[in-house]
Amino acid sequence: MSGYEPLARDLAACGRDGFTGEVRVLGSPGGTFHLHGGLVVAVESPGAPAPEALLLRSGRIGGEEWAGLVRESGGARWPAAGLIAHGYAGAAQLRVVCAMALQDAVFAVVAGSVDGCERGPATGPPPAPVAVGEPPTRLLQVASRKLAALLEQPYPVRPDRERPVPASLSYAAGRLGVLQRELLAHADGRCTARDLAFRTGRGVYTVTVEVSRMLGEGLLECVDAPRPIPVRLPPEGHGIRPREPAPPRQPPVPEATALPRRRPGATGINEALTTTERDDTGTGTGWKEFFRLRNPTAK
Amino acid sequence: MDHTALAREMRGLREQVTGITDTALAAADGLLIAADTADSIDPEGLAALAAAGLGLARRTAEATARGALHRTVAYGSHGCAAFYAVGDTALMVVLGDEGMDVERLHRATQPALRRIDLILTDRTGTTVKTAEGV
Repeated sequence: MSGYEPLARDLAACGRDGFTGEVRVLGSPGGTFHLHGGLVVAVESPGAPAPEALLLRSGRIGGEEWAGLVRESGGARWPAAGLIAHGYAGAAQLRVVCAMALQDAVFAVVAGSVDGCERGPATGPPPAPVAVGEPPTRLLQVASRKLAALLEQPYPVRPDRERPVPASLSYAAGRLGVLQRELLAHADGRCTARDLAFRTGRGVYTVTVEVSRMLGEGLLECVDAPRPIPVRLPPEGHGIRPREPAPPRQPPVPEATALPRRRPGATGINEALTTTERDDTGTGTGWKEFFRLRNPTAK
Repeated sequence: MDHTALAREMRGLREQVTGITDTALAAADGLLIAADTADSIDPEGLAALAAAGLGLARRTAEATARGALHRTVAYGSHGCAAFYAVGDTALMVVLGDEGMDVERLHRATQPALRRIDLILTDRTGTTVKTAEGV
């Protein structure tokens, strides 16, 4: 929660000023608060699944269908009307999803590190906004209470730090919940709680709390060192070679409409005629003789 | 080639940018050099696809007078795959989920690509800094 105080101060000022626009939170994972009249209407963060990811990853709608709805809505990032019209979700469900995603994104920002804030004008309509905005101070208080509760767990974890694997106890465990089974299926020592939230299409706070519980119950465990990355040497005597340059460009093809230029004598007709005339004089059976025979008066 | 430094750069990038799920390095001809990938991904196949994809994109950029190719990114409903050239000798693949900030990835990869190029070509004597937070 480093950098929380400046963030709380800046957002409280936005609320007092009735600010409309975006507040970019720099840090890890950071995020963007979208405000309207001093109230937060949407929050985006790489640290928490957006409403779109929650719907797609939970299997409520497929990728192709989502793309179709976006096309149908003229390229909107959040095709709410289409989702309702095609029966993928009800209006109330979408409101709940948007509100949950907003609170989850604030939690992810607060649980990470904040390096600073920047106010700026809105670059477009806020993605998946809630109908009634939330005061920024209240949002931050809720998020910090959640983080404090998480850190009081017997095995506290951060959303972006631990990368657990299933413990041997998990294979023999019975009566596991749906979320626990999903987390055991995806925990491979590479995923943080945040990554598992994206994989399973659930809120990052929910998943982080569950990971913490499962670590405490011995269903998950954290390995000390990450799996090594094997590096392969090129074959003996063959270092890494530069890529082959692109083949030379072909000479430009002449225009299709241009006709071939005529060259005198190219057909050889002159030579042929000359030979014929020479033959005529030699044998006396040329064209002139032919006309004389048909018309004896002609000279 | 310093294998440890190479692995550190790949892991450091994943730690630095939220949402990166996998990274792989391959020679320019598509032969895999190193992979930090999940078991569900075939790294050799990924390396070959990356080499073919980057080659095609480079030819397209040349044929359409778009200048030097910077990168290619394939977006899907569950994330994206970014392909970068590492100097003239290699390429890097970065896979991320839908939460990854792609602009942030592009900013973070530039210094990492330079360092990886130096490691691959054994010119690490001129390396100035290692990846942050590693």
